[in-house]
Amino acid sequence: MSDARKKYLLSLFSSILMALVIGAVIMAVSGHNPLEGYAVLITGAFGSERSIGNTLYKTAQLCITGIATAVASQGGIFNVGGEGQMYLGAIASCWLGAALNGTSPWLAIPLCLLAAILAGALYAWIPAILKIKLNISEVITTILMNSIAIYFCTYLANGPLKTTEKGIVSGTASLDRAFRFSRLIKGSNLTQTVFMIAVVTLLVWYLMSRTTTGFGMKLTGENSRFARYAGLNAGMLGILGMLISGAMCGMLGMFECFGLQTRFKTDFSNEFYFDGMLVAMIMQYRPLGIILMSFFFGALKIGAVSMQSQTGISSELILIIQSVIIFFMAAQEGLLASLGRHSSARRANRMRGGVKS
Amino acid sequence: MSQEVTPVVSMRHITMQFPGVLANDDVSLDIRKGEIFALVGENGAGKSTLMNILYGMYTPTDGEVLVRGERLFRFDPNEAIRHGIGMVHQHFMLVPSFTVAQNIVLNTEPRRGLFYDFRRANQIVEELVQEYGLAVRPTDTVRDISVGLQQRVEILKALYRGADILILDEPTAVLTPQETDELFDVIRSIVRIRQMTVIIITHKLNEVMAISDRVGVMRQGKLIGVCQTCDVNERILASMMVGKDVLMEPFIREKTKATEPALVVENLSVLDNRGLPAVRGLSLKVFPGEILGIAGIEGNGQSELAEAVTGMRHVQSGQIRILNRDVTGMDPAQIRALGVSHVPEDRIQTGLSGKSDIVDNLVVGREKEPQFSIRGFHLKKKRMKEYAEELSANFDIRGGGIHTPTQSLSGGNMQKVLVAREFSSGSRVMIISQPSRGVDVGAMDFIHRQIMEKRSEGCAILLISADLDELYRLSDRLCTIYEGSITGEFDPSVTEKREVGLYMTGRGEEAGHE
Repeated sequence: MSDARKKYLLSLFSSILMALVIGAVIMAVSGHNPLEGYAVLITGAFGSERSIGNTLYKTAQLCITGIATAVASQGGIFNVGGEGQMYLGAIASCWLGAALNGTSPWLAIPLCLLAAILAGALYAWIPAILKIKLNISEVITTILMNSIAIYFCTYLANGPLKTTEKGIVSGTASLDRAFRFSRLIKGSNLTQTVFMIAVVTLLVWYLMSRTTTGFGMKLTGENSRFARYAGLNAGMLGILGMLISGAMCGMLGMFECFGLQTRFKTDFSNEFYFDGMLVAMIMQYRPLGIILMSFFFGALKIGAVSMQSQTGISSELILIIQSVIIFFMAAQEGLLASLGRHSSARRANRMRGGVKS
Repeated sequence: MSQEVTPVVSMRHITMQFPGVLANDDVSLDIRKGEIFALVGENGAGKSTLMNILYGMYTPTDGEVLVRGERLFRFDPNEAIRHGIGMVHQHFMLVPSFTVAQNIVLNTEPRRGLFYDFRRANQIVEELVQEYGLAVRPTDTVRDISVGLQQRVEILKALYRGADILILDEPTAVLTPQETDELFDVIRSIVRIRQMTVIIITHKLNEVMAISDRVGVMRQGKLIGVCQTCDVNERILASMMVGKDVLMEPFIREKTKATEPALVVENLSVLDNRGLPAVRGLSLKVFPGEILGIAGIEGNGQSELAEAVTGMRHVQSGQIRILNRDVTGMDPAQIRALGVSHVPEDRIQTGLSGKSDIVDNLVVGREKEPQFSIRGFHLKKKRMKEYAEELSANFDIRGGGIHTPTQSLSGGNMQKVLVAREFSSGSRVMIISQPSRGVDVGAMDFIHRQIMEKRSEGCAILLISADLDELYRLSDRLCTIYEGSITGEFDPSVTEKREVGLYMTGRGEEAGHE
């Protein structure tokens, strides 16, 4: 293990520890027992079959969105637009699914999956091509395109594609029962899609770290002028990362609607993509780290719900803990440097005889 | 020689340990007031580290520094500046969009009330310029002035802050021969006027001989010796630097018998980044087994020529043919596939990926070959590592293992990584720009031998360099370039450098009249 990696892991674990300590202090200050709070949080995440199911599903969700961020970033493009890509994937697959109601699921599901992937990838292609050809910042375009996608889908679900079923205020027509993914654990959110998410995540991980394509993407992301000079197709590799990222997001959009909902609903996502994006950023876009951190954050998120209902500690506390981790990770360079200066100043003091130390 | 009782700077038993690298190993050095002291050594010998300690950039692991007998307790550039130490780094630290005067007074701007007093700033700088006889206009924008003038701005900045000990880190690496001479005049005058002490880090031995009073030689973190410059010569210094005799002996060569050129450039015109003509109707031919040298002062279209030939830059008009194929308008990947390799002048932005390790930088471009991947897809990581180990050994790449990011290597070792990759790809045409810029004597000789070996393998080599000595040593034919056109062709074995120099500056007619 390299020195940099060791330093990174050290600062990661100390950041998490600090965040948990600060979380405990906040609990104590607000009149709760921190130990009890954390105990309820852990049982909330792992105490029953149902909660384990929920934690695993949350982990899967964070994994696929985190890896989606990472694969785009490896090719040098920061995809902030996963949320919009997810919405388009969801609506495309739900529209097609409803149109295919009554046909064989063996035909319908692959077609819907294809529609979701294409919609997500296509929507990611737009900011990618703008970045490569015209050097327009993808951060701005992807953020703006999120709103476009979400409002566009809201319009469709309340207008042209609105279901005619009685009693449904907004949303597309419901999907054939045979098309829906069944739940693996009763009452939990864990559906069959978790296997597909696992396969996709592992495939993309493999692509990123063990193939010539991933190798080319990495060099393009680090220095695109160099990549072009060295004979790589830098533009294509950058766009490819975004296409894969968008496709993964579109796919997740479909999984959400086909698994947990019965149709496209405008509120199916609670900004899932941004949670995954944060995990990816904290873990410096490293796939293995993203998978592990997804599990940690997934458990926190699920456990927090029980914590709030049983002890009254607000689940917002989890946001604080996440933010503190992000804060310390972002500041690690500076903190380490100032620690280094501190110790060298002490050394200089010692050298002059320790008069003032 | 003055008989100083206490030296102006005294560094005692300095040791600097970086992770995995002992950069300075128990170095003790005294600098006398009013002298010009040259510090020489190969890349990675620790000379920049030692001077960065003096300037407060690093805190040494062990040892102490005394300035005028007073001990430095804190290693911090502000502290160093307070003690009258100034440093001009290899990469300038100037704000390009500011004027000369604004850059010089930065952080200590003269004010009138709440406002920045621009007029006063210009006045102050003008006085400084007059005092030292430096030809710089305070109102010019830094972006628009030449590198040589930018360097003077850096020197003025140090003088303005009251420096009387000035450290110059490889000041001539970016200068033309004329600018180097002017810089030396400047240094001599500031030493005379202000009783300044100047320390120059360099590895150009002729410059050491030309300017310094004393010279210190470093090798592998140790100070090998300090001599009076008048007592030594370049040959002695070179062998002290590398620990053995280095002979820059001329190469024995036979003229190529090839009749079919491998690289043909016809009537080429190319624009620079600002959209102005940089190469204007240039034509040349390079034959297999031949080195064609391009001599010129930087900024006369050499960079754009190299980029156009390798597909990095759009061709405005004209034609480029490589191995009988028209490659005009092809992208770099296609041109490389024909058997072309390219050593670019800018190794940091173009030639390497700084964040990637040595392995990735050596393999890139060849990762789809069967030896590195299965079906051009699944990487053979183990084989990649072995290959990197082999090349690191063959090309003597030092400064950490194969997993070191190239940005933390020294300039010379970066260049070796780049050369190792480009020289190992079995190419038939090579475009080589500034192969030994910022590289020490030993590495330079090594790179030259590699180039000659490629030549004897039948490679057609276009060599672009700002170093006339290098061109003379390597080239079979020599062309001068001035304002984007070829101004003359010479046989270096029979032409004097002085004559070539005239053609480089566009004064070829004068040579003709002589």
